[in-house]
Amino acid sequence: MAAEPKKIIIDTDPGIDDAMAIFLALRSPEVEVIGLTTIYGNVYTTLATRNALHLLEIAGRTDIPVAEGSHVTITQGTKLRIADFVHGADGLGNQNFPPPKGNPIEQSAVDFLIEQANLYRGKVTVVALGPLTNIALAIQQDPAFVKNIGQIVLLGGAFAVNGNVNPAAEANIFGDPDAADVVFTSGADIVAVGINVTHQVVMTDADREKLALSNGKFAQYLCKILDVYFSYHHEAYCTRGVYLHDPTALLVAVNPSLFTYTEGVVRVQTSGITRGLTLLYNKQKRFEEITEWSDKPTVKVAVTVDAPTVVKLLMDRLMNS
Amino acid sequence: MDCAVANANSHAAGDDVVSGSSAKPAKLIIDTDPGIDDSMAILMAFQTPELEILGLTTTFGNVTTEDATRNALILCEIAGCPDVPVAEGSPEPLKGGMPRVADFIHGTDGMGNIFLSPPKAKKCDKKASEFLVDKVSEYPGEVSILALGPLTNLALAIKRDSSFASKVKNIVVLGGAFFALGNVNPAAEANIYGDPEAADVVFTSGANIVVVGINITTQVKMTDDDMIELRQSKGKYAQLLSGMCKFYRDWHVKSDGVHGIFLHDPVSFVALVRPDLFTFKKGVVRVETQGVCMGHTLMDQGLKRWNASNPWTGYSPVSVAWTVKVDEVLSYIKKLLMKP
Repeated sequence: MAAEPKKIIIDTDPGIDDAMAIFLALRSPEVEVIGLTTIYGNVYTTLATRNALHLLEIAGRTDIPVAEGSHVTITQGTKLRIADFVHGADGLGNQNFPPPKGNPIEQSAVDFLIEQANLYRGKVTVVALGPLTNIALAIQQDPAFVKNIGQIVLLGGAFAVNGNVNPAAEANIFGDPDAADVVFTSGADIVAVGINVTHQVVMTDADREKLALSNGKFAQYLCKILDVYFSYHHEAYCTRGVYLHDPTALLVAVNPSLFTYTEGVVRVQTSGITRGLTLLYNKQKRFEEITEWSDKPTVKVAVTVDAPTVVKLLMDRLMNS
Repeated sequence: MDCAVANANSHAAGDDVVSGSSAKPAKLIIDTDPGIDDSMAILMAFQTPELEILGLTTTFGNVTTEDATRNALILCEIAGCPDVPVAEGSPEPLKGGMPRVADFIHGTDGMGNIFLSPPKAKKCDKKASEFLVDKVSEYPGEVSILALGPLTNLALAIKRDSSFASKVKNIVVLGGAFFALGNVNPAAEANIYGDPEAADVVFTSGANIVVVGINITTQVKMTDDDMIELRQSKGKYAQLLSGMCKFYRDWHVKSDGVHGIFLHDPVSFVALVRPDLFTFKKGVVRVETQGVCMGHTLMDQGLKRWNASNPWTGYSPVSVAWTVKVDEVLSYIKKLLMKP
């Protein structure tokens, strides 16, 4: 039998593709979800918590704790960009599901992250699917966190391509650029998956029909909430499909060999018109002068993805649920 | 597809200056900070009879503006055109302060430490921005500008005369790094970094602009073998340029591991006279003026319909060089440099 499953905590702002990623994780024997932590982004944090609890109830996994995360950015910013026009006002395709029965745990997301990282040193992977406020706060509150945490897989950034909030910035990084810069330069073992990669992974209309025809519990549920997400993509990108951002990032934790990576220093622009821009320096060129990238720890950045296999894996696991 | 995300592709930008049918020479002003590769581009322009060089305007960058003026005067004399006016530009970027000067690339004299004798001719009385405005007003729709350094003078011209942007025929800018690493730091290319505010003024001015970034120019290298060929040729300026290039070449080995030189300015010159050797994409370009990415050029490729307005919204697109026919551009440059 294979090795013990990898312990993961999903930091999430559900969100339609977050829901897909959470279900995919619960159907993946390679990983064991030991908790969800919540953050703003697709919805406000309060709603993210509610949706996280709801999704676990749908999955019959109320044993998994949900810890509520920060309601504001790391600089105490309260003017948040919330992508309700992508995911619906309720974050889950405007289905108006009944409120969840359960509650989040007493512990905050940051305390939960710090505790679990310390409890299973080097064994916990955080899969961060929203703005990086909780992770940055954990790094700032506990100097041992970057050492204790096994790996941080994050969905964020647009590496050498246009962003999706504006030409410079991708949504998760734009949500809290200061936090993102803290995380990228923290020295933790980090894998970043940007939209340059996730835009290659598309669920088509035909895939959705296949999901609808299956008896899988998760497939059935997702088909209900996917309408809003498909409409948005059609409008914004002129595509007949949707980008699988969050499930793709999650699969880095499940099967890293589906991707190739480069390694370098990533800095995040925190001011100006390109606020939220992620800029990777992969050391291919030397510079005459000291730069803001000099002497900073490197991270791994996904470069290519086996998109057909990612889509197939997601489809198979959702249909067989 | 039934929805129309702007299709931003275009295959040619502006008119082909040289091979156009008109017998009348095309008017050109070169804004420059010579500079070794500037010197190459300037002498190439002088070797092109289809061009009428109205003047050179100087800027800081590879050298100080003062030294750029001296070198521009020297180059006009070497080209046998001592009467071509040289108008001195701003000594500093729009926001003020000592400019960054790349003497470690071009030598303390800007010409690879060959220390030519000072020029006899004097710079013209007008400031660069004034000269630019006057010439463009004198010949509306006829003057092309090849901008090879930081864009301070052009920004000042745009600020001085609100009709400048519409009257200039086109501006070919060497600058920026589009979806590629910079050369001053990972975010920024040297010319744009030299005056980010000015660059943003120029790119958003509405003028007919072609930008050639280092993502394009670093594809066109003159190798050590090409340089030997140049030295052994009967090119009018072959010996001079070969002498200058030694320093420049050694820096490339050290900095990029390239045995040869990048032809930034000559490639931009070719983009002006032979745009058919390039493809271009149109999009709004903005320049970051603060933070770690100061000097970063960011183009909206028009791949997405934005949900809300953003700093790119509402500006006129410019043509960004997207691909280059490397072999043809190199051979065009070599041919001009080896022209007796």
